[in-house]
Order: sequence, then C-alpha cells, then structure tokens
Amino acid sequence: MIEYTWLIPFVPMLCFVLIGIFGQKTPEKGGYIAIAGAAISFALSGIIALEYLTGPDYPNVVVDSICWFHIGDLQLNLGYYVDGLTCMMMLFSSFISTLIFVYSVGYMGDQGGRKKRYYAEVSMFLSGMLGLIVSSNFLEMFIFWEVMGLCSYLLIGFWSFRHPEGDAASSNAASAAKKAFLVTRFGDVCLMGGLFVLLGAFGSLDFVDLFNPVNIQNVNPDTLTLGMLLCFGGVIGKSAQFPLHDWLPDAMAGPTTVSSLIHAATMVKAGVYLVARGFPLFVQNPDVMLFVGLIGGFTAFFTATMALNNMNIKRVLAYSTLSQLGYMILSLGAGGYLFALGMDSGNAALMAAGTAGFVAGCFHMMNHAFFKALLFMCSGSVIHAVGTEDMRLMGGLRKQMPITSITMLLGSLSIAGFPFFSGFWSKDLVIEAAFEAGDHNVLFMVLWVLAIVTAFMTAFYMFRMWFMTFMGEKGKNTLHAAEHGHGESPKSMTAPLCILAVFAVVSGFFIMFGLDGMLSFTELPGGFFQVGGGHSEGFEYFSELFTNPYTYLTIVLALVGIYIAYLMYAKKKINPGRFNREGESVLYKVLTKRWGFPDLYNQLSWKLGYGIARGVDYVDRQVVDGTVNGLSGAVVGGGEAVSRVQTGDVHDYSSVVLLGIAVLAVLFIVIAKIMGGI
Amino acid sequence: MDFTSIFGDYTAIAPMIILLIGALVAPGVHLLGKKRTATWGFALAVVIVSMVINVLMLVDGWTGSTLGMVYYTDYSGLMMLLFQIVLFLAVVVSNASVETTRFNVGAYYALLMAASTGMMFVAGSQDLMMIFVGVELTSISSYAAVSMKRNDARAAEAAVKYVIIGGMSTALTLYGISMLYGLTGTTNIAAIAATTSITGISFVFGIALVAMIAGYGFKIAAVPFHMWAPDVYEGAATPVSLFLATGSKKMGLSVFFQIFLIMFVSGTACAKIAGPEVQYLFAIIAAVTMTVGNIVAIAQNNIKRMLAYSSIAQAGYILIVMAVMSEYALSAGLFHMFTHVFMKGGAFLVVGALICAGIGEKISDYRGLAKRAPFMAAAMMLFLFSLAGIPPLAGFTSKFFLFSSTMGVGTAAGISLESQWIWLAFVAILNSAISLYYYARVVKTMYVDTGESAERIKVPAAFTVAIAICLVAVVVLGVYPQLIFDLCETASHALLFA
Repeated sequence: MIEYTWLIPFVPMLCFVLIGIFGQKTPEKGGYIAIAGAAISFALSGIIALEYLTGPDYPNVVVDSICWFHIGDLQLNLGYYVDGLTCMMMLFSSFISTLIFVYSVGYMGDQGGRKKRYYAEVSMFLSGMLGLIVSSNFLEMFIFWEVMGLCSYLLIGFWSFRHPEGDAASSNAASAAKKAFLVTRFGDVCLMGGLFVLLGAFGSLDFVDLFNPVNIQNVNPDTLTLGMLLCFGGVIGKSAQFPLHDWLPDAMAGPTTVSSLIHAATMVKAGVYLVARGFPLFVQNPDVMLFVGLIGGFTAFFTATMALNNMNIKRVLAYSTLSQLGYMILSLGAGGYLFALGMDSGNAALMAAGTAGFVAGCFHMMNHAFFKALLFMCSGSVIHAVGTEDMRLMGGLRKQMPITSITMLLGSLSIAGFPFFSGFWSKDLVIEAAFEAGDHNVLFMVLWVLAIVTAFMTAFYMFRMWFMTFMGEKGKNTLHAAEHGHGESPKSMTAPLCILAVFAVVSGFFIMFGLDGMLSFTELPGGFFQVGGGHSEGFEYFSELFTNPYTYLTIVLALVGIYIAYLMYAKKKINPGRFNREGESVLYKVLTKRWGFPDLYNQLSWKLGYGIARGVDYVDRQVVDGTVNGLSGAVVGGGEAVSRVQTGDVHDYSSVVLLGIAVLAVLFIVIAKIMGGI
Repeated sequence: MDFTSIFGDYTAIAPMIILLIGALVAPGVHLLGKKRTATWGFALAVVIVSMVINVLMLVDGWTGSTLGMVYYTDYSGLMMLLFQIVLFLAVVVSNASVETTRFNVGAYYALLMAASTGMMFVAGSQDLMMIFVGVELTSISSYAAVSMKRNDARAAEAAVKYVIIGGMSTALTLYGISMLYGLTGTTNIAAIAATTSITGISFVFGIALVAMIAGYGFKIAAVPFHMWAPDVYEGAATPVSLFLATGSKKMGLSVFFQIFLIMFVSGTACAKIAGPEVQYLFAIIAAVTMTVGNIVAIAQNNIKRMLAYSSIAQAGYILIVMAVMSEYALSAGLFHMFTHVFMKGGAFLVVGALICAGIGEKISDYRGLAKRAPFMAAAMMLFLFSLAGIPPLAGFTSKFFLFSSTMGVGTAAGISLESQWIWLAFVAILNSAISLYYYARVVKTMYVDTGESAERIKVPAAFTVAIAICLVAVVVLGVYPQLIFDLCETASHALLFA
C-alpha cells in the first residue's frame, strides 16, 4: 500500500474538484463529499502507517518519486517520503480534519449556497497539508505550503461576504485575511530564499540527498547556517512566531471551524513540521538551534501574556495556540541544541537528550492538535448558541450546554497541564528539554524559567475563560439564548467534541505504546539521519517525570493558576479589577493593544511601504514623466502647440533620456574600471 | 514533411509571408465585403494558417535560410510561435471588443499582422540591419495601431508620446549600429563578435553598446526608458495594449538575446571580450527595473497602468538572463516569456472583456466583481496570482527556473552559491513578494468589497474563449512545464551554439 501514499493528498484534491463541479447539487452542498474525502485520507493514512511501521523497511524511510521536470543537470521530483514523523503527522491531520468537517455540517448549516465554496476550500486546504506532510523534497513541500497559504487567505476571508455580526466584522475578516496572507508571505520569501541557498549548496532539494551526512559535510557550514536561518524565517511566518505572530489572532475573523483547522490540524503546524523535517540540517549548527529555541521560548511567554486579559473567547484560544507553538519550537530548539553539541563532541548521551527534546516537540504537536481542535470546536459550539464571542456576555452556560461545558473542561485541563491529561505529559517533557539544555547554555535556563511561568499563565487564562463562559452569573446573551431555547448544539457538533475529548485526555498515553520510538530522531550507522526506530522509553520517561522535583513545581503552579481563576471568576472572591486598576493600568492597556504590534505592522508595512510607493510614483509621473506629459498634451492641443515641439519641450525630454544614457555610460565605465576591463 | 518542395527558397520566411500577404489583402477584403466579421474571420484564418505552418516546421525541426538573410532555426521558430500566439489572442477578441468598433478594421488587422511580421523577421535575423528593419516595421505599425482610437484624447496623447519616444530609440539604435559598423566593418553579429574578440574592447565599442542597450531598452521598457509604457498601455485599445505588452516587449528582449548573448556567450566570441562588465550593467538594469516596476505599481489606481508597471517588473525578471548569460538562463527566460504571454495576456483580456461589459478601468470599479462575473473574477485572480509567482501556477514554475539560473544551474561549474549573481535572485524574490501586495489588492476588491450593482454581467463569447485558453495554459504550464521547456532548451541551444 505504501506505493499509494500519493493518494493521501490526492483524494481531498479530487474532492475539491468534485465539489467545485457538482457541489451545488449534492446535499449539504458538497459537505458529505468533503467528509468522505477526509475520511478516506485518514483510512489510507492508517493503513499505510500500519504497513510501514510493521513492515520490513521500518525504521528506514520509504521514499519514491517521479521526475516532475528536469532542467540542465538539475532534476526536481514529486514523490512521497514516509517515516515515523510522516505517519504521526498524516494520521492526526486527517483524523482531526475529518471530525472538523463533520462538525461543519452542523456549524455551517445555515450558510446556504456559500457552503459549496467553503467545503471546496477546506478540502483543498487539507490536501495542501497532507501534501506537505508526505512530500519528498523541499520544492514540493514549498508548493503545498503556498497552496495552504492561499487557501487560508480564502477561508479566513470566508465570512467577508456576510458576517453575522455585521459589516464591521466583514471588513475585519477581509483585512485579517489579507494580513494573514501577506505576513505569512513575508516568511515565505525567506523560505524561498532558503530553498535557493540549499539548492545552491546541495544541487538538489530531495530529502534523501539533503539528509545524507556525506553530502552535508561537503557543504560550507556558513552556507548551511544561512540556508537554515532563512528556512526558519518561513517557520516564523507560518507558525506565527515572534515577531510575525500577529496575524494569527486576527485570523480569528474566519469561521470557527476554519480556526480549528488552522490551529490544530494544519497551517501553523506546517512550520513546526518544517523544523522537525529539516532537523538533520538544523542540528548542524548549535547556534541556529539556540536561535530557534530563543524565538520559541520567547513567543511562548510573550503571547501568553496577551491572553490574560482578553475578553474574546476565540482570541484567548488564539493566543494560547501561539504560546503552545512557542513550546514546540522551544523544545525542538533545545533538543537540537543538545543534539548538535553531542554530534560535535561525539557524546552519545547528549545526542540522546537531544532526541528526547525532538520527541517532546513532536509529541506536544500531536497532543496540542487534539486539545486545541477540541477547544476551538467547543468555543464554536458556544458561539453558535449565544451568538457572540465576548465572554462578558456569556456566563452560566454550564446547565444549558452540558456536553460542551464538560468537553471544554477536559480540553482546558489538558492544555493547562493537569496531571495525567495529555498536555501534562508533553508539556513537562518540553520543559525538561529546556532544563537539560540549560546545563549547557544559560540562555536556555532563562527560557526554562519563562516556560514555567508560561505554564502558570496558561492554567490561569484557560480557566478564566472556562469559568467566565460556563460558571458564574448568566450573562446577557446567555439569558437571551435561554429565552429562545438555544441549548446544546446538534449531534453532528457534539459527537466530534466527545471523540476529541477522549483523545485530549488519553493521547498522552500513546507514548507508552512506542510513540517516542517512532518519533525518535536518530543517525543510522550508515550515516543517514532519520526519524523512527528508536528505543521506546515511555515508562522511563514517566518514572523520571515523577522523580523530578520540578515536575511538582509545574503541577503546583498549574493548580494555583486554576485556583486563582476560580476565585476571581467563579467565586468572585477576588476582584480582577484590583490588579489592573479597573482596566486603567498601563500593563493592562498595553496587553489590550497587543504590545502595539498591530500598530507597528501598520506603520511599517502599509504606511511606510505605501508612502515609498507613492513617492516613487510621484517622481516617476511628475518629474520624469511630467515633461513628456506636458509635451504630448501640447501636441494634442493644436497647431500652435506643435510649434512648441520644435522649440522647447522635446529638448527637455531629450535631456531626460540623454541623462539616462549618460548614467548608463558612466555606470558601464565605472564597472569596467572596477573590474579592470577596457 | 518536405517544406522546401512547397515553399521553395522561401521556406524560412513562409510563416511571415503568409502574414504579410494577409496584411496586404485585409484592407481589400474589408473594402469589398464591408463586413467587420468577415474581415475578422479572414484575419483569424490567416493567423491560424501561419501558426500551423510554423508549428509544423518547428516540430519537424526544419532549419534553413532565405537568401542568407533570414534564418529559420529552433530559436527563431519558437519566438515566431510566441509572437503568433500573441497575435492570435489579440485578433480573436478584436471583433467583439467595443473599443475597436470605430476602427477601420481592414487597416487595423493589417497593422497587427504587419507588426507581427516585423517581430518574426527580428527573430530570424542574424544581422544588425535586418534586426533594425524588423523592429522598425513593428514599431511603425504599432504607432498607428495605438492612435486608431481617434476620438480619445488619452489615446492621442499616448500615440504621440509613443512616436516621439520610439523615434528617439530608433535614432539611438542606429547610432550604436553605425559605430559598431565603423569599428568592425560588418553588421553581421557573429562577425562583429569574431572581430572584436581579436581587437579587444574599446571605449567606442562601449559607447555603441550603451546606445544600443538604451535604444532597445525603450522597446522592453527597462528603467529608465520605461515611462512611455504605462501611458501607451492605458491609452490604447485593450487588444492593442495586450499586443504591445506581451508581444512588442518580447521582441525587444529577443533582440537583446540575439545581439548580446551571441556576442558574449556563443562560440565565436572569446574571453577577450569584456563580458563581465556588460553582465554587471545588465544586472543593475534588471534589479532597478524590477524594483521600480513593482514599487510604482503599488500606487496605481488604474488597472491597465498597474499591469503596465507589472510588465516593467516582469521585463526586469527576464533581464536576469542578460546578467547570468548562460544557456540555462536563456531557456528559463524563454519559458518565462511564454508564461508571461498567457498570464499577462489573460489579465489584459479580462480587463478588455469587462470594458465591453461597461466596467471601467479603475481598480475600484472591480468591487464585487466576484458576484457579477464569477468566471472573470476567478480567471483574473489566477492570472494575478500566477504573475505573483504562487504555486502551482505557471508564473511560479517559470520564476523558479529563472531565479535558479543565478546559481549556475547547467553550467560547467555546476550548481553553486559561488555564483556572483545570487544577490540578484534575492532581489527578485523580494520583488515577487512586494508584487503580491498590489495583486492581492485587486483580488480583495473583486472578492471582498461590495459594489454598487450586483447585476450579472455578460461578456462577449470571444473573450471567454481567449481567457479560457490562457487559463488552461497558466495551469498546465505550471503543473507540467516540460511541455514547452524542452522546446525552450532546444531553442536556446540553437541560438547560442548552432
């Protein structure tokens, strides 16, 4: 079956075409086609993963490709690349997407004919993600990366036609879509540059060539460093790391299902996946990994602060995504740093510790996918019932929406790192990776402290959100919803919630069944870097966790965070206003303004960029072109003006042209002199 | 197929002769028939016959020359095909376009066909004088074509500007050519290269080069010789703008390839000629051209002006070929020229179709277009994204080829970052990112903003067909570039090493 891996992204793409052609005539405007496509992809992923993991090839990668085009001595391929990481990624992506599509049937039920466009685009989106996961080379990966970017642009702007909250929200959606597209595009430019550097360095973009240490040794290390830093620029854009993080909260303007898709199963995970996939190249230089870790650790902390006082339920979740993505990047950075040091010194123990960091990052990515999809879909269910995203208008929904409230509680416990929930296992592994790296570089110690503080903040803001939504007095919209009998959401929405809730609780235990071995990053005796085939140490990890005093520190901090949130928002014993002078304190305002980043973006990109463009245009039209304009206007004017052609204006114009030629000539001579020609 | 038995000594110029006959007969057909559609049908038939002959000759691999003046090679055949495609697109929609209703269509088709004939002669020339004559034939025909929109002040202004600037460029070119003739005693490019490789390069030679670069720089609208392009594209009827933006510009680029690449790359020249200086000169022109084109495009409110500046930027990308000067770069450049025909041509066709439906040229006129004309809006979106280089559309693939040529793909040294042109690739990548900004703005206007009217609009069928052709090409060339790229590789090999 492995030879049919290409079908995994192909099936959703086929669905895109089918929905585009027949969507309008089928029930739910193509919704069932999209679900079937995602489900088939999931089934294929399952069969292929099983066959690969139990087959004779494991843990060697299975790779096959066909020539897409060849130019000169360069051949570019399309193909698939299956290893442990691919298996995990394609399984959870297709699985969660299937559930999101099922949920969409209920959530988007009242959107009429526009559903066709929605289902077509989400199918394409899934196809982009799955294609990216199974790609066998960087160019193929980049193409799917861009396809996803384009689809996210279309999907975030989906509600731009007719937003339930009116025109302001519509134009928000539009500008958010543009921002998402352009900001991530900035990262894409870096990635494209990185690909060119890698292509230049290796003469190939196939993973099998790039991950071969023999080839890596032939490359100038500085070149490789430049290439990987540029690639990481792409990650910063796509996975919304500091300082390009600001597009993700804005992308909340799209439908909640799209947010769920972007945050859990696809899009932002692509950046983390790129780091994991390119790990053999990233670990060639510890300083690159240090940079990766710094960006990740700082993002985790920095973005968590903005979730502390946000009143919009989806925004809080968006910031928590940013923060969790920071954890993943931090973990990969710390692990990579250790691995790189270990390779330099030939220290196998360090390399093993590095592998642990890699596993932690990937493991957290999977767990996060489950609980974040759950949390977003729960918030969608709430929004569906109360018709607002403002948590101040909610409250006391627990009785009205029992399933949603319980599943969301499970999700929140998981992300907060409550013991034995999935988030607890992976988050502690991440924090431990940072701690281990701290032994070798004091900066990682700082990041470790930040990570611990972030864990506390996460517990606090998640439960602030849960208490504000489901506990306490009934808010305005809650009452309103109760009057109109808006209770629990339909089955097509709650069923996926329940399934995901199970996974959010138990997915941490996957590591007991060899997940870490499947995800371990190893260098084969032959020298090839690959993911998979490691020794499974699930129980050792666990016993280590519980003998480590710092684990208890994070548990206590999480519990304290939850308790403070309980006192503030459920019991109302502590007035949150006491800490921020009723919203008047400087910190509160700064947080509300998102540390000024949206303004900064505005000033930098739109104002400055557009200003420059206007300036250049002015010179072009008025100064250079003005003479020409005056001249030809005069000619059109009539006979008298024609005479002026012979007297003055042509002369002016010629001087402009001659100036251009003179500049060229001087340039030529200067270049010739510099290069010693002539 | 034995073409020689059919066309005799004139086989090498058979595709041009047919067009030329068409150009001469078209006014007569119009005069006798008095029917616009009949003339259109005649012109279209002539174009298709010429195209079929050319494609047959190209696929057959026929090579030869007529009178030792015009050569049919794999290169000239491919360039002729490109010019014929442009002409075909322009002619197909001309009858349906409301902008050409007041034209004397007999003269109009004659001018378009004559201009294309000139371009095709350029592609087949190996002599400076022949190139000059071909360029003039094209230029003079296009001046007249631009000015045909008689009662429009903008068109008149554009035409006057175009003529004056064109005259200027002609003078400069002739100046350069005469100096080269004075230096070497010949106008044959290969012979000039051979002579110069013995005598070495002199200041006069340098001045001649600069004069010729400037003269033909007008044709491709390279900065700082670009300012006519936006005015002319804006003022002319849209089919003519399409013809100029995608055809005339490619002729200028082809002239660059044929003169400078042969002088500095091909076997007859040798290292003694100061190639690197010229390369740097072109690299700077390329970088400045793409940057100015893209930045100024941001500030445009008229879609035709925006497309004009974007054309300038695209010419800047193609000028990378002149900086890198390798066979692979030329193949990539040729390929990009083809994809550019379809994406830029397609975008102009959409603009023209919408003008027929009574929608203006301002970008703000496109508000809510997605609802009023879904196919047009979707097509425009794909063309613009292709221009911005978003995979998997043709623009991405061709840009990837073009930019990767800076790293020495296909050269003896192999792919490496040691190449001095890698900075040019970064400038180009950055520019593609800037360009997305103004393309995305149009897409947003079409899809997000709500317009004053939500009424469905109908565009003429001819436009829909032409746009569909471009759309298919943009997608197919993006997914399966080898289709044309192999031809481009053969062509560039033929030009440089035959």
